[in-house]
Amino acid sequence: MRYRDENKIQAIRESAIEMVANDGLENFGINRLAKAAGVSPATIYIYYKDKEDLLTSISIEEALKMTRATLKGFDPEMGFKEGLWVQWKNRAAFALDNHQSANFFEQLRNSAYKDKMLETITLEFRQAMGSYVHNAVKRGEINEMPLEVYWSVAFAPLYSLIKFHNEGQSLDGRKFKFSEKVMKQTFDCVIKGLMK
Amino acid sequence: MQHVLIFKTNIATPEARSKIAPVLDQQPFIDQWTVDMEDVDCVLRVVAAEPVPDRIIALINASAYECAELED
Repeated sequence: MRYRDENKIQAIRESAIEMVANDGLENFGINRLAKAAGVSPATIYIYYKDKEDLLTSISIEEALKMTRATLKGFDPEMGFKEGLWVQWKNRAAFALDNHQSANFFEQLRNSAYKDKMLETITLEFRQAMGSYVHNAVKRGEINEMPLEVYWSVAFAPLYSLIKFHNEGQSLDGRKFKFSEKVMKQTFDCVIKGLMK
Repeated sequence: MQHVLIFKTNIATPEARSKIAPVLDQQPFIDQWTVDMEDVDCVLRVVAAEPVPDRIIALINASAYECAELED
């Protein structure tokens, strides 16, 4: 009789994310994963049918984790500035704590797993984000604009800081470390740019 | 209660898979089964109502394919 062993599942998931994040999908396989996670291949097959099943299920779980982390303490009814700051703090915290998770998503972005992942993100997340922006437009806090324009101003600057931080350097090899202070400074510029 | 049974086989091609398919599909105690043909061990994974690995092995062997339980 076999029981679900949460520690083993956790080890499998973490190793899979790390392997995909570092080496991509091409060399990913159940046997290599088993070695990395310190379990037998049979154990992995207890929980997953094959590589596809494993990657689909992990990408859905990761997408949900990211969605929930991003929406923590967030309410679509919030004022624009307050809501965006909650978003920035949540997104920064998730990206910094889950560095590998971001790389994992990046590797999946051009793969067949993308659709499942997007599907998962869509439901909860898009609704909350959509009505938050809609409310801000209705209240006259921001102008209506295409999603791409909004995202590029509202969030891309934050991800740019996180990217600098993860690489340890910004432009011309300047050393860079992320901090709440630098985040707030950038945020203030973004707010000035977006709010009427 | 469902049991997940894991086997190493030599069911390596879609043709091989299609030969064992009717045999496994017919068994009332088997809920679902898959073969990972990408894997070196061509892992057969069976979700069954009863923990009866020997019966699965006998069924696969009877179809002239190798089958051994994969240990944890």
